[in-house]
Amino acid sequence: MAKGLTKAFKKALWVYHCNSGSCNGCDIEIIAALCPRYDVERFGIKLVGSPRHADVLLVTGPVTRQMEDKVKRVFEQMPDPKAVICVGNCGNTGDVFYESYNLVGPINQILPVDVHVVGCPPRPEAIIYAVAKAWTKLETLEG
Amino acid sequence: MSQTTKTTYHIPIGPIHPALKEPVYFEFEIDGERIVDVDVKLGHVHRAVEWASRKRNPIQIMYLAERICGICSYCHPAAFTLAVEKAADIQVPERAEYLRVIQAEVERITSHALWAGVAAHEIGFDTVLFLTWEMREKLMDLTEFLCGNRVTKGILTIGGIRRDITSDMVPKVTGVLDYLKDNFERLRKIFLDDKTIKMRAQGAGILTNDNALKLCAVGPTTRASGVKKDVRVGQSYFAYGDLNIDYVTPDTLTGEVNGDVYDRIIQRLLEIKQSIDLIEQCLDKMPKGDITYEPKIAKVLNQLKKAEGEGVGRHEAPRGEVIHYVKLDGNEAPFTWKVRAPTYNNILPWIPMLKGEQIADIPIVAASTDPCMSCTNRVGIVKDGNKYELTKEELHRLSVEKTRRLMR
Amino acid sequence: MTKENNLTPDVIIKSFKDKFKTKIIDAQIKKKPAGSEKKEAIDIWMKVDKSVFKNVIKHLCDLQYPHLPVASGNDLGKNIELIYHFTLNFDKRLEEINLNISVELPKSKPEIETICDLIPGALITEREKQEFLGVKIKGIPDDRRVFLPDDFPKDVYPWRRDEKGLEKLYKNLHEVKK
Repeated sequence: MAKGLTKAFKKALWVYHCNSGSCNGCDIEIIAALCPRYDVERFGIKLVGSPRHADVLLVTGPVTRQMEDKVKRVFEQMPDPKAVICVGNCGNTGDVFYESYNLVGPINQILPVDVHVVGCPPRPEAIIYAVAKAWTKLETLEG
Repeated sequence: MSQTTKTTYHIPIGPIHPALKEPVYFEFEIDGERIVDVDVKLGHVHRAVEWASRKRNPIQIMYLAERICGICSYCHPAAFTLAVEKAADIQVPERAEYLRVIQAEVERITSHALWAGVAAHEIGFDTVLFLTWEMREKLMDLTEFLCGNRVTKGILTIGGIRRDITSDMVPKVTGVLDYLKDNFERLRKIFLDDKTIKMRAQGAGILTNDNALKLCAVGPTTRASGVKKDVRVGQSYFAYGDLNIDYVTPDTLTGEVNGDVYDRIIQRLLEIKQSIDLIEQCLDKMPKGDITYEPKIAKVLNQLKKAEGEGVGRHEAPRGEVIHYVKLDGNEAPFTWKVRAPTYNNILPWIPMLKGEQIADIPIVAASTDPCMSCTNRVGIVKDGNKYELTKEELHRLSVEKTRRLMR
Repeated sequence: MTKENNLTPDVIIKSFKDKFKTKIIDAQIKKKPAGSEKKEAIDIWMKVDKSVFKNVIKHLCDLQYPHLPVASGNDLGKNIELIYHFTLNFDKRLEEINLNISVELPKSKPEIETICDLIPGALITEREKQEFLGVKIKGIPDDRRVFLPDDFPKDVYPWRRDEKGLEKLYKNLHEVKK
């Protein structure tokens, strides 16, 4: 997964955000990370509009049955090397919705997850730390 | 020579797209650049919340209700406690009622600031997004100071509220209100005096008074069309019966009501001003006393286990009216819990609002009604025929290009 | 759109009982005070026979055009109960009245007429009752599913508590498989 990383990769990570049925709490904190208070753009991390430009995928929400194949398609559209970050408790274990008949399962049964972020919702500082961890993981895989 | 017939195209706008952060699926039937018909399909964020309540007691349902939506995470527990208190006949102390009003109004200002940023981003003004969300960060600090967390607050309980605002906490609250009052004039100038926003927003997405009444629209969407529906003014719950409050419609500022996107911007800015005024009235009039009718939760649960009855709780959330229905029948878990979020009623008005508009206007018209899809469920519009995927990025790009064209 | 300008709860109940006599099975008024000045919020709970349901709604629209937030439903064993929550007097300060009209339908024949021709905003809530409780609404303009996915099994109704309910599809994401 990590062959062919160039030097430019270490300077900037482009992130794509995908909502698979969440309550929007985690999504608001992701956008708050871009705003002047936490300002994640000074590290070179940018939110892009298409999965074909992205290096890292941020998935939020418990995966509902209607969204399962769409999330898989987004993951396949992303070019290698890539990393997946699962933000929030819903994607990790289901949180309070764990018994629902409309959920397919925690995200790591559908996609290979690299970093888990815990919290309901996690603070913006935790999300920035997670993206930095994904970066170091991709870096060690290259070396 | 064969005659070519002019057909309309059907465009699906799929659930995953960069604009509105929630999965929303639209399908439009278009003829050139004009929209001819709109179809609405719901159902992607359905997490079976009401069904999950059958194995939980009312205090556990409070935590479930908070996570229905992250943006309006106070209004669902508020309506739920109103319904349970009516069904089980519980009387709440007066100080708690005033504190509940203060928390509700702080949430309202936060939500309107969020909406202002998102709407500006849809038109293409990213700078305004950063400005309003910076204002919102001050309010998040206040929320964290009062409740302990930024987003999911956990401050309500059945029969009262969990944290008090003591007299040494009041200067911080008034400090934030002064900051808002100073910046309000700046916000007003950006949104209402700008030539480009006027060109894009005036005359777009009109909802007439008649349609708003017949389709049962709620919230700022319907008040901007001149219909006076506001649960805080019409009904006495929490402490709203004691306060000085009246219906707010756009003609207090401009003198006439058109029902377009510009009127909805005016409506929300006026509501921010009204909320600041209500918080100040509450801080003046708050009586002393307990903050909950029974501090031990085990006793509350015992009383609710034996209670029987039905109750309907209605609250005015930032997006409209929230209504919950609860039926208690003497068991640990309630017999029925029905949730209805405000965006549910604001979806049908999209159809008359979008017919006849251009494609590039779709983001701004949809964002002006402030939809919260996770409260509702996704909206999907798909038809057969000539299908080609217009991603959200395309839609957003079209909207920004139209602004640049108008600015020249 | 108001024909009479001072609708108090007693006037409303009297106007229904005069027209429909015994078909109004029960009517109760409940009040709850709030705040320091103890102003009251008013609820009317009315039970109606299903044969006159459409005429009751027509009479209500003539009295004053209501606001319909939602309709909820209960599974009572042999019958299904539908409750329509209306609001009247919504443009006057502190005079709103919540009117809840409930109808019981037998499970052997759960059918009722639509009210979309009188109140077009009732479309989504009627579609929701069809897919969650198995009620058949006659004359509805659009009867597709609203919230459930299209590949959900056809005869399973999530809110019911009998054999057509959902006990078999209960799932546990936390389960540790041995």
